[in-house]
Amino acid sequence: MGTVHAKESNMFRNINGSSSNEKENFKEDNPSLHFHEKMNLLERKKGQAVDLHLKARVDRIHVDGLIRTKDDIIKAQVTELFKAQDFYDIIIHAYKVREKLQDLGCFGNIGIYIDTSHGPHATPEGVEVTFMVNEMRRLTGGISTMVGNNEGSVIVQAKAPNLFGRGERLQMEYSYGSKSSTNISMSVVKPFMGSSRHKILTGSVFNTSNRFPWSGFSQCDKGLLIDLAFNPDGTGILKHNLQYEATYREIISSKQMSFRVREQCGPNLKSALRHICSIDKRDSLIFPTTGSLVQFSTEVAGLGGDIGFVKNELTVQTNWTPHEYATFQMGFQSGLLRGISNDMKINIADQFFLGGPLNLRGFDMRGCGPRLDGNSLGGNAYWALALHLYTPLPFRPGRHSFGDLFKLHGFINGGNVSNFTFKFANDYKENMKIFKEDVRCAVGGGIAMKFGNIARVELNLVMPLLFVRNDVLQQFQFGIGLQYL
Amino acid sequence: MPYPLLADSITLELEAQEPWPQLITLYQPYEVEQILLPDNANCLAVQAFLKMCGLDFQIEPRSNAEYMSPSGRVPFIKCGQFLISDFDSIVTFIGNKGTSLSDHLSANCKADMRAYISLVNNIFINAELYICWVDETTLNEVTKIRHGSVYPWPLNHYLNWQKRKEVIKKLNVLGWYNKTLEEVCNEVQNCCTALSERLEGSDYFSGEKPTEVDALVYGHICALSMINPSLPRTVQKITATVQEFPKLLEHASRIGRNYLNNCMLESACDFEMCASSSKETLWNYSESIEALPPLSEDSFEILLLNP
Repeated sequence: MGTVHAKESNMFRNINGSSSNEKENFKEDNPSLHFHEKMNLLERKKGQAVDLHLKARVDRIHVDGLIRTKDDIIKAQVTELFKAQDFYDIIIHAYKVREKLQDLGCFGNIGIYIDTSHGPHATPEGVEVTFMVNEMRRLTGGISTMVGNNEGSVIVQAKAPNLFGRGERLQMEYSYGSKSSTNISMSVVKPFMGSSRHKILTGSVFNTSNRFPWSGFSQCDKGLLIDLAFNPDGTGILKHNLQYEATYREIISSKQMSFRVREQCGPNLKSALRHICSIDKRDSLIFPTTGSLVQFSTEVAGLGGDIGFVKNELTVQTNWTPHEYATFQMGFQSGLLRGISNDMKINIADQFFLGGPLNLRGFDMRGCGPRLDGNSLGGNAYWALALHLYTPLPFRPGRHSFGDLFKLHGFINGGNVSNFTFKFANDYKENMKIFKEDVRCAVGGGIAMKFGNIARVELNLVMPLLFVRNDVLQQFQFGIGLQYL
Repeated sequence: MPYPLLADSITLELEAQEPWPQLITLYQPYEVEQILLPDNANCLAVQAFLKMCGLDFQIEPRSNAEYMSPSGRVPFIKCGQFLISDFDSIVTFIGNKGTSLSDHLSANCKADMRAYISLVNNIFINAELYICWVDETTLNEVTKIRHGSVYPWPLNHYLNWQKRKEVIKKLNVLGWYNKTLEEVCNEVQNCCTALSERLEGSDYFSGEKPTEVDALVYGHICALSMINPSLPRTVQKITATVQEFPKLLEHASRIGRNYLNNCMLESACDFEMCASSSKETLWNYSESIEALPPLSEDSFEILLLNP
């Protein structure tokens, strides 16, 4: 909030309205108050009733500190501010504009100053808005740590923001994970700033390798990903991603692997189109108290390459807080994978797996579903449902500070992953089999912690209720990751 | 370093517990469109060896056989829960099960045999690799097409490039990369002369009964001499070199007749190309990129699938 300020005297001047009185007021005001004592508008709003809906007009917008950023993209971002009708509007719009400028990824801190307009063309209600921007340096970099799905990694990255002055950037990233997964990627990002909706085009090449000891193989990917992200409503609630991915994947056998997995070893080429659509109205990513998330993704592989399938996935999460001390959360995930032709293979890397401390709790990573010789083979359909009840820590230690990072939760989760042939005929019974047979279920409780507002750490004690003989169960689980059920 | 030894001894013990004989499945690349010369030679050698041992086996062609193999080389056999790749390891494995072709030989003869095996592995495999991956004509006209045949565009080009790089690196280390085709042919000729002299008038290398060497030599001679006449001239040159040795061809056709029941080499004795059943089969290639395999007992690498 701290960066939006209005100079107190401006307010009064606006309120007074008449330009002839202005000089008087100005002189009567303490000059130091005028120049130095900036007042936080929101505090002001609480303390004293100020008519924010006072008519005002934006005469001029200054953007200070532009060096290599091109004018046209800045213009596209700020023009909406001219539409503001009153002072309140101006503030709201100024915020939005600041967000948009920030989204360009070209600037460090952005400050907003609002002043009455001066000069020959100034209108009586006119104000001037000044954005103080700080362009980033040509090359930035850093080393950071990240937590991914049950793994911590070190990331070394370098970024060249605002390459040609229109928000283009080039970034390189190398990460090395604690489970010896490595990831090198280089991407070019080009935002297209329209008037209201903007699109971001990202092209990246990557080289990753991951081990999946639960399935007995490791995977090495080299690929190209082109992603077009846009939000049609401009608010960031509804988001679409259109992606094209071409990946050369190599499945490498580990020493002891089931022959069924071994049969799938070797190189393959996946060329896929993907559409991800998400509506996210939650108030927070990790511990939301209200709102829901619906995400639907469709992937079609088989435009070239030797891998062909259609994959649909649905993720739903909804939150409800009847009382300050209790938040209910329901999460649901499901997916379906189908082949498209007999010539195109489906690799084990494309299959669905279930189980893990942030997935279906109570089971080891990839711990349920079809297995052979201790290797998880995955299935082509799955569903998982979890119901959580969150409460703050008892006696609320560290309230409003450190203590708010932790929550206790009790949960019950269930799901199933299997191979089945989907029949589109009205074979209701056959198709519902996955919801009826071999359903896994576990209850438990534990402590959850949020980590930098993107990751989540959980320590749980779980008791599996329903399981199958092959499943790998875990009673104590520690999980860390970005996605959770 | 104790770990591999321990693993070996565990494997040995487990091996002993496996009931025998088990059904053997032999995995190899597709013969008609994919396999390249060195791999073809190895696959034929293993097939001949298993037949000589009187073991039944099934051939299972897989396009990714090379990647499925625990050592990255073809062929490999699956026997119960074990996967064994490479000629030498397979021989050792079968030997541990009590079926051996060279038990009756004296220690001297065995040592000789090992020497010949290593000679064949050294010379023939490198020559085959050279022809497939270094000789430009063959590389472009045959190897790239065959090796890439099972992969989609553009993956085929990438994998061909990768494979070539790998082979060249290996040949470079062994000092073969800078040889000319003539030199390669000379090496082959020398090797053939040595084998031919050893063979003299007998049916097999160690007298009346075939041994591992016979299987291995059969594989290579068969693969090399049966090259399709439509293939590039450079390959024909090697073929011509091999065909200067009627004793080896006879030996190969004898094994073919007696153990593999095929007539592939029937006419080869007349120094003619036989374009019979296996017209296309001749080329095999794959991952035989391997230096001379060590001959010691602990050289075998057996993959324990799951006890």
